[in-house]
Amino acid sequence: MSFATRTWTRMSIPARLLAIFIPLAVVLAIATVLVIVVLGGPFVDFLAANLPLVRFFVTATAVLLMTVPTAFVIIYLELKVIARMNLRIGPNRVGPWGAAMSVIHGLKVLSKEDFAPTGVDLPVFTLAPVVTYLASVMTLLVIPFAPGLFGQDLNIGVLYFFAMGGLTVVGLLMAGWSSFNKYSLLGGLRSAAQIVSYEIPLTLSAVGVVVLAGTMSMNHIVLAQSGSVFDWFVFKQPLAVIIFFIAATAEANRAPFDLTEADSEIVAGFGTEYSGMRFGFFYFAEYVNVFIVSALITTLFFGGWTAPFNWPWAYNLNWLDFSNGTLWVGIAFVALVVGTDVMAVLVRLLGGSTWSLPGTMILGFAFATVVAVGVVGLAGFIAFDWVQGLFWFMAKTYAFVFVFVWLRATLPRVRVDQLMGFAWKWLLPASLLNLFVTATAVVLLSR
Amino acid sequence: MDRSLRRHLELRLATHLRGPVRQYPDQTEIRIEAGSLVEVLRTLHDDPGLRFEILADLAGVDTGKVMQVVYHLWSERTPDWLRVIVDGLSRDDPRVPSATFLWIGAEWLEREAYDMFGIVFEGNRDLRRILMPADYTSFPLRKDFYLPDDAARSPGAGTRHVERPHAPAVVADDPNAGIRRAPVS
Amino acid sequence: MPTQPTDDEHGQPTEPVSRSAAGVRAGAHARGGQPEAAAEVAPSPSPSPPAPAGMRTGAHARGSQRDIAAPAEPAAPAAPAAPAAATTAPPAPASSGPAASSFGSVQHGHDPEAVRARLAAMPRPSADDPRVLLDRTSDADLFEPIPPYPTRTEREAEFYSLGDGEMFLNVGPQHPATHGVLRLVLKLSGEQVVDVDPVIGYLHRGVEKICENSDYYHVIDQVDPLEYISSLFQEWAAVLTFEKLMDVQVPRRAEYIRVLTSELLRIASHSLYMGFLALDLGGITPILYGFIERDEIVEMLASVTGARMLFNYFRIGGVNGDLNHEFMSRLGDWMSRAAKETEANATLLNENEIFVRRARGVGVLDRETALRMGVTGGNLRASGVAFDVRRAHPYSVYPELQFNVPTRDEGDSLARYLIRVDEVRESIRIIDQCLHNMPDGPIMAKLPRLLRPRPGRAWGAVEGPRGMMGVYAISDGSDQPFRFRIHDPSLLNLETVPLLLPGNLLADTMAIVSSLDPVMGGVDK
Repeated sequence: MSFATRTWTRMSIPARLLAIFIPLAVVLAIATVLVIVVLGGPFVDFLAANLPLVRFFVTATAVLLMTVPTAFVIIYLELKVIARMNLRIGPNRVGPWGAAMSVIHGLKVLSKEDFAPTGVDLPVFTLAPVVTYLASVMTLLVIPFAPGLFGQDLNIGVLYFFAMGGLTVVGLLMAGWSSFNKYSLLGGLRSAAQIVSYEIPLTLSAVGVVVLAGTMSMNHIVLAQSGSVFDWFVFKQPLAVIIFFIAATAEANRAPFDLTEADSEIVAGFGTEYSGMRFGFFYFAEYVNVFIVSALITTLFFGGWTAPFNWPWAYNLNWLDFSNGTLWVGIAFVALVVGTDVMAVLVRLLGGSTWSLPGTMILGFAFATVVAVGVVGLAGFIAFDWVQGLFWFMAKTYAFVFVFVWLRATLPRVRVDQLMGFAWKWLLPASLLNLFVTATAVVLLSR
Repeated sequence: MDRSLRRHLELRLATHLRGPVRQYPDQTEIRIEAGSLVEVLRTLHDDPGLRFEILADLAGVDTGKVMQVVYHLWSERTPDWLRVIVDGLSRDDPRVPSATFLWIGAEWLEREAYDMFGIVFEGNRDLRRILMPADYTSFPLRKDFYLPDDAARSPGAGTRHVERPHAPAVVADDPNAGIRRAPVS
Repeated sequence: MPTQPTDDEHGQPTEPVSRSAAGVRAGAHARGGQPEAAAEVAPSPSPSPPAPAGMRTGAHARGSQRDIAAPAEPAAPAAPAAPAAATTAPPAPASSGPAASSFGSVQHGHDPEAVRARLAAMPRPSADDPRVLLDRTSDADLFEPIPPYPTRTEREAEFYSLGDGEMFLNVGPQHPATHGVLRLVLKLSGEQVVDVDPVIGYLHRGVEKICENSDYYHVIDQVDPLEYISSLFQEWAAVLTFEKLMDVQVPRRAEYIRVLTSELLRIASHSLYMGFLALDLGGITPILYGFIERDEIVEMLASVTGARMLFNYFRIGGVNGDLNHEFMSRLGDWMSRAAKETEANATLLNENEIFVRRARGVGVLDRETALRMGVTGGNLRASGVAFDVRRAHPYSVYPELQFNVPTRDEGDSLARYLIRVDEVRESIRIIDQCLHNMPDGPIMAKLPRLLRPRPGRAWGAVEGPRGMMGVYAISDGSDQPFRFRIHDPSLLNLETVPLLLPGNLLADTMAIVSSLDPVMGGVDK
């Protein structure tokens, strides 16, 4: 055995990781610096010349990157909230209060064997989760998170949203059909029928909002609700809110309309033959769907990023002077060190001697970071209106996410024929009635 | 111990009874033959003085010499359970008319009796095995089907290798025998 | 891979031989039985002489079909000829395979053609055998639950022939919602169920056979796991029957303790029933509330019996342990909240519009059909027949207790659910009365240690949470029961499934099966 092999077998796992990554990092750093030095200039000039393109790529990347943490947060929220409603605790081992549970789930689905059963139509089988996921994610492009903080301000934003959202049914049908499995087939067909049926009341109740706002651009719909809280469309379209909420629950395949994945009847519906990351895509797509549907309700009816009340006092942070960068870096460094120590002392006092010194310091650092982020966030909230808008938007959206999770914990499933009957016999006439009344009112009031 | 029930049974089923009507503190027992079963059950069910509407149980019994099928019935007219023993079925070809013409629920009970004993219920539309696998060829509850721990009592000491006593495993003196360790490098 | 030797190490051939009549008679219980006139047991014969080499007496044609160490050759029945008249194997329906179906030892990697030829020559094994893959001609066969053997009965042939636009869906033994290992082969036309073939037997443990080889005390232990959710009722049925066989008088305190613990267990079983019904309909919360309820009761019973689930508590002549302080304090604590908590758990489902709409009018079992099916218990009372063994044929101290027998007429799943809610209320009443009237005294009758009842027969039945649990015991005078027959209510409850499911949608399948409350341990024995 050579010296290298012997040393390798004697190293511990962290040592092995460092032995691989440190040389790799050094090589990559040198390569990156060289690339920047040589090609940096012309590249930046190219970007500056094509700013909209840059904006588009950045937005798309940001949106894609945002979906996975959002899904993680919502999954964790669901686990904990449903657990509390079931009088149990939920995950509490894998992180502080179980917060790393979603990450572990993500790693778990990544580490599973990627196989396709005998008899499946492999291209369709592989693409189905991709289609479903993308259909959910592409809608995030038009959602206005804050003033100025949106992907694209399409002037057919609402139409684009529903068009993209409707692609989910294609993905589910692909999944159901290509899995060589009768359960999947039943699940896929059920989902197709359900989503297609509920799209009509969904869009019709949104059309009332479009008529009121006079535009299909989501950004302008939010702007039409700015002003006071009573400008929000929920007060002008109460029936539409209810119809929209119910139809959105059905669109997102959430309880009580989750019969596409009714695991007490058809095992896992369209997803019976999926495992590993393929299933992970469906899983994430479902929770991203919950998020975007909540975001849409917020945008269309609850004012989007507008605040329900104004700050009662005037404020500004213009007195902060950022010109001396070194000073601020120093302040940040000192604040973090001091904060870490303070927090570590607090942890030690409160947690007793159960934590070792490195553990205490790490926890102290974590808490200090949280506090620092909170302070910076508060400063941003005061200073920038987009931070404010983002905060309000997220608060309202997550309130609706909570309501979806609450429904799942509470209600049993509706049967498929009851579901279809409800959509066609009740929701559709109600949404038509709503549209008719809205249009009449707009015409009469504009005289 | 309902005496009036006994009188009633002796009156209505006189030709079918094969033996006296026995009575226990809360049970009454009659014995019949396989050929009388249909008439007896119909009488017991329909007769206005008897009205045994509830079939409580249908069981097969292997006495070692003969097979029996035992029915337990309940009527709201009498506080006793009624036991109807269809006696005298041969152990090699037990055949009994099916009770499914009166009680549909007897179908699975008869399937179970067939599965466990081999009793063929004529008229049962679905006489196949219910508890054992479909291609099983023995009838487990028969008295000549031995469980391994009963094998010592069987005259042939069993035919399956699980029924035969085996010599105990030889334990080597070397404690490491049988354990393969990776060579220490 | 070495082939199996045809002679074993004792020099006896391992091929099966047809039985002889002599062997059959010798196979009966070779114990001393009193030759009483009423005894039906074969009198103990003189043991037959040891079998000569080559003749296997008393053996049935095949041992375990799943015995992989079976002889290599398909066993030829023409073994060294049995001198006595070789009786034929027990009659089997026309299309069963010959007695000598052996899988043989599959020699992998040698000659697949030869293996295929040999497999094709044998009757095809069941679809559960993994070696069936060698013989598969197309992938589509793999997924159809059509039996690989020719259909044996009229009903089977009727079921396994597809009409226009119909398909089979196998709600297999492994399924998130079938209450245990139950296989339902559904014939669907779209989403509507046209026909059902339930396949049971996955949990068959041969309890009746084992009990024939056990003492009367061991029987109680063996009979516990039948309806494992409510195991005291099987114990009670067995113990009741044995007490009738042996003319044992149970002390009154023991009877009251039996009633008390059984009614507690009935509430626990019904709590679980409500939870599982909701779970099969998609509500994930009530099951956890039901488990909280059950946990409290089961902890109570653990403090007095020593176990949380398979109690092994009743004895012939009484119960195993007296009530203790912990039990009484837990019970008192629970009773003070019981009515409110059970009401709250029930209203969680009663007032849930979605649940009610999915259960009302679904799976209607009318009165006449229920009586013809032999259904008992809550399912029968939900169809309008007021048959409760505690009132129809009272046992123990039930004649002294006041309680109602709730009955409903509709016969749908909602009625079956509501009946159980009512039964929980009645059980609380009974527990209250037991606590007030609990007499002092011994908890076990005086019995000899070795129980040898007189030869005779007895039947005893109790009212379990699912129906009438009955035991028919035959004693031959020895210390083991000669025949121990258990009548389990879940078997007949499940038998109504082919009558209730057709016409309903797939989504109702689980709701109906769930509302009948089958426990597969009892169904399969």
